[in-house]
Amino acid sequence: MSSDKKKMTRGELGLQVIIFSLGFFYAIVYYVAVPGTVNLQAVSDQLLAYLTAVLTAAFAIGVINLTRVHVNNIKRKRATWRYSVILIICLFAMAIFSMIASPFALDPRATVIPAGVIAFSTPIWEFLYYKILVNINSTIFSLLAFFIASAAYRAFKARSLESTILLVAGLLVILGQAPVVDLVWPGFGAIRDWILAFPNTAGQRGILIGAALGILVFSVRRLFRYPWGD
Amino acid sequence: MAASSLRSDPRLVYLILLLVVTVPVLTHAVISVPITPTTRALYDFIQNLPPNSLVVESFDYATSVVPELHPQAIVVTQHIFLRPLKVLFVAQDPNGPPLADAVLDTINKGNKSYGVDYANLGYIPNTATLIGMPSNIAQFLPLDTRGNPTASLPIIKEFPAAKDAALVITFDDDGSALYSYLQYWQGSFNIAVAVGATATVAPGFMPFYSSGQLVGILISIRGAAEYESLLNQQYNCCLGISGASSAMVALSASHLLIVAMVVFGNAAYFISRRTSKREK
Repeated sequence: MSSDKKKMTRGELGLQVIIFSLGFFYAIVYYVAVPGTVNLQAVSDQLLAYLTAVLTAAFAIGVINLTRVHVNNIKRKRATWRYSVILIICLFAMAIFSMIASPFALDPRATVIPAGVIAFSTPIWEFLYYKILVNINSTIFSLLAFFIASAAYRAFKARSLESTILLVAGLLVILGQAPVVDLVWPGFGAIRDWILAFPNTAGQRGILIGAALGILVFSVRRLFRYPWGD
Repeated sequence: MAASSLRSDPRLVYLILLLVVTVPVLTHAVISVPITPTTRALYDFIQNLPPNSLVVESFDYATSVVPELHPQAIVVTQHIFLRPLKVLFVAQDPNGPPLADAVLDTINKGNKSYGVDYANLGYIPNTATLIGMPSNIAQFLPLDTRGNPTASLPIIKEFPAAKDAALVITFDDDGSALYSYLQYWQGSFNIAVAVGATATVAPGFMPFYSSGQLVGILISIRGAAEYESLLNQQYNCCLGISGASSAMVALSASHLLIVAMVVFGNAAYFISRRTSKREK
């Protein structure tokens, strides 16, 4: 063991004990059915319910942080302060209307919030969500098609054997995915299916197995005190 | 010459793309769509589910991919409502619950009623909830999106735990939701899983389809058009319900434009390379 290795503080040790205990507990519950008077699955479910509360609180911290950053931007009149104003207005307007009239409403049965307020807010929320948010996001994502069309003749070049194979495979999949081409000659569809089912699956499996092994190694190291700060 | 002018100013390509997409959409041109095996597999699985089976539909896509995944959600939900099945709507993406409501507003619900045959349980906020739901739905999602106590719904009394589901289908734009269901619902409880995916992420799901872990995959808006066509063949209904079928000409034209651009770009590349070699 190297001499310059940092020693655990008492707090870090306590945290590590909690991490190990919970991680080990969940591994046991996941893999082993333990018979006995204590229902481990029920204990596990209850702990998960607490975790839900903790993780939900993290969202509140996110909102507080975002608000602080952008309110500071506005107060100090930083270069982009106008965008901060828009962000704050959008953030809270959407949040307030969502909490009153949406599938996330805090009081959908109008026990505390007056029914009139909910009735007033519902069309506003629906307009903000379905008519603005959905369309803006879809439009921005659709711009990708223009970038791909532009990249098609700029970047997709057969410069080497590997890039040629990739290019040809890509073109065949694109042709097979176009229903008109598939109707003209069903062979394109069959070729696309073969490429997706065999070469693609083989490559994806390699990536998946590699990533899974990496996650496993990381998890085990984390359970058994992976050095803090590294 | 033409290639270099296009490289410096791609507006002509943008204009052509705009035309090949908008003209077919505006003219509502429709073509028949060959059915891919992954779509057929999902359709057959749902068609062959025993009556009164529970299906969980998970809306796990952001609003940005609504044009691609929303039609899939519409056609699959319509199919489930045409059959004597029960369905719970959940979402691992916060955008999911309103999108599930939008799907319910679009389809023909027949004589099925909320709470008895279907319910929207809303957002699954984290993995902890997802892991807990197979054991007890009401404990982890105590209220539905309408504010009803989940435990009081007849559908939840009939199916108190998600492990009773015959199928979970996730409409997933990045794979994270699918991996969660495969890991926690299929791995532990052997629940059948299917996915509706965007064209960009679908190839990454093929290993799970080949291994039998996925019962079917709907790939992009074309998958929705194929499903719509299958519904039309079987039930003589639903053609045009999702808008996917009328997008197929535009999809074909845009794909062909991309292929033409690649061929054109490569032809220009090889000509310019040959010219520069000769000059040397």
